[in-house]
Amino acid sequence: MQKNALHILLADDDEDDRLFFKDAFEEVKVQTKVEFVFDGLQLMEHLMNPDTKLPDILFLDLNMPKKTGKECLIEIKKTEHLKNLIIAIYSTSSSDEDIEDTFIEGANIYIKKPSDFNALKKIINEVITLNWHYHTSGLNRDNFLLSLK
Amino acid sequence: MKWIPKFNSSNYLRVIFIIAIFILLFLSSIAYKHNRDLNESSKLLMHTYEINIELERLMSAIKDAETGQRGFMITRNNRFLAPYLYSRDKVNTSFISLKKLTANNPQQKKNLDKLFKLIIQRYVSFENCLKYSAPETYDKRKLDNHMFGGRILMENIRFKVDEMKDIEKVFLEKSLKRYDEEISLGPVFSISLFLAALTFILLAYRQISKDLESLKVYNKKLLISSGLMAESEAIGKFSTWQWDLETDKIDYSDNQFRLLGVQPNIFVPNKDSFMDFVHPDDQEAIAASMEGIINNEELPFIYYKIIQPNNEIRYFKSTGKLLVDQQGSKILLGINFDITDEHLLNIKLQERNNELEKSNKELASFNHVASHDLQEPLRKIQTFISRVSDADKAVMSDSAKEYIVKIETSANRMRVLIDDLLLFSKTNTTKKEFIKSDLNELLENAKSELAVIIDEQNGILQVDNLPKLHVIPYQIEQLFINLIGNSLKYSQPGIAPKINITCEKILSNEYPELMDQPFKKFYKIMFADNGMGFDPQFKENIFVLFQRLHSKTDYPGTGIGLAICKKIVENHKGYITADSEPGRGSVFTVFLPE
Repeated sequence: MQKNALHILLADDDEDDRLFFKDAFEEVKVQTKVEFVFDGLQLMEHLMNPDTKLPDILFLDLNMPKKTGKECLIEIKKTEHLKNLIIAIYSTSSSDEDIEDTFIEGANIYIKKPSDFNALKKIINEVITLNWHYHTSGLNRDNFLLSLK
Repeated sequence: MKWIPKFNSSNYLRVIFIIAIFILLFLSSIAYKHNRDLNESSKLLMHTYEINIELERLMSAIKDAETGQRGFMITRNNRFLAPYLYSRDKVNTSFISLKKLTANNPQQKKNLDKLFKLIIQRYVSFENCLKYSAPETYDKRKLDNHMFGGRILMENIRFKVDEMKDIEKVFLEKSLKRYDEEISLGPVFSISLFLAALTFILLAYRQISKDLESLKVYNKKLLISSGLMAESEAIGKFSTWQWDLETDKIDYSDNQFRLLGVQPNIFVPNKDSFMDFVHPDDQEAIAASMEGIINNEELPFIYYKIIQPNNEIRYFKSTGKLLVDQQGSKILLGINFDITDEHLLNIKLQERNNELEKSNKELASFNHVASHDLQEPLRKIQTFISRVSDADKAVMSDSAKEYIVKIETSANRMRVLIDDLLLFSKTNTTKKEFIKSDLNELLENAKSELAVIIDEQNGILQVDNLPKLHVIPYQIEQLFINLIGNSLKYSQPGIAPKINITCEKILSNEYPELMDQPFKKFYKIMFADNGMGFDPQFKENIFVLFQRLHSKTDYPGTGIGLAICKKIVENHKGYITADSEPGRGSVFTVFLPE
């Protein structure tokens, strides 16, 4: 694996989703290193560990046992060395409430889990090639929810 | 305390009576004075009369002496000399009387002294005449002189007597005139005073009888209102009590006893008797509020329980107020309401409310399940199918390939159903923010949302000018999308869909279906199309959730679109109807309140 491979972390309790995610990244043509945590508690432990190399992008599921994605998001944004982490919400829900809340709490993008594998690949491709600096400075409620053209 | 009549006339009456009494006292003092004056004047008259008589007597005694002397001088018979001799005694008697009578009058006294001197001179002259007429001492010249001197003296005496009489007469007249003046003032004045007193007394009488009349009327009113009060207390399940803080006397209304579960007036209430009925739980609070009412002069509503003698528990609500009447005495007024029925009803309502809340929560969690948990496995099914690659399909049997396609179609349909169902429940549960919006704009948004389909079918939309209304904008937009989308979907094959949207202002009383709404003015927006229409017997059914008039193979759909329309219009307190005939298009009419 190359040194400059993109470092991705997915926090999701659903085994199938982790599988789809892993497969999709393998088919994407960018060098990536994908890691997984299975719930919110594990995520926070992992991030708080000083030995951990922080990921380039954190994909965060909202509906997780023990600690929800929203709680994790709030905690991360409160922690000095984590608050600049790029966070992509990755959830089945597309409820206005969830989108609004995570936007306010400072997530960088909101991805609704697609029901098509090819769509998932497209989304991942989009996210990892996104110019985050450019995206974050122009972030607003309308472009927060990722939509594919 | 407006209902207590003010009898100001009691003051008025007092004033009238005092005036009348003063007038009468004044009148009687005048009468007394008149009486005394009359008495005085009759005494004065008597006095003058007596003086006159005594003067007359004096005069006649002297005349008698003169007559007797003359008879003697002519006849020289001693018989004629007797009156002359007696006359001296008579004169002396009269003189003594006169002296007494004139004792108070110095002028008359002086006159009397002069008169006395004249009378003595006259008697000296009598003696001289007798002396010079006697034969032994006869002297004609001296006799003549003395006779003549006697006559002059006699005239002087008469003159003096007349003078005295005149003085008396003048004095009498003066006095009488004075009394007369006083008395002449009297009659008119005292009669008018008497009449005034009489008028005052009559006025007082009139006022008294008027007061009596109004007292009677008030009495009757009071009787009626106290009867009414007792009745309304019994019907309204409330009671009243009064506590005179001065006398510490407490009065219960009859219903107060009944509410406590005892016969009216079965005991004489005092400060503590009410406490015996109060439930032990509430006794402390009641005692505190009793203290509070005296200090704060007002009792806010207090809720508590009482125990009737038959151990039945009743719920009470009480309030009170401190009143200070015109005499300054303090009275506590209180009202007790028996709210047991309402209380029990409230408890029942609360229970039902809780149940409703519970079922609402269950519904909300069902929504959550539908939106998230149902979507999750569906999404996976769809994702897994999408992972079946063309290479996989190549090694499958034809029937397996067909099954894969059918699974995909069903999963897609399930996706649409869930999405529509979510949309439907969202029109109900999301917060309803009414914003004044231009309906023309919302219709434009709907048109651009449907632009692709409209273009595909060469659809034509004719739109009236629409009003600006207070609406939930995204819902009205959804309504327009669903109605126009419905018309486009059910157009006649081979004919370009044409939708005519018209709008007019109407009054609710012209439309029986709007009678239940609290608004008077409505906008009637009609969506008329040239589509395939439907059998009018289904005009109600098409708005029911999941009701479909066509097979889903011909016209894919969930049967939720028009149900959402109905829900949205209901959210706006409006009304929606549909009319149609097969093959002749359909008309959807939306009424929205102004």
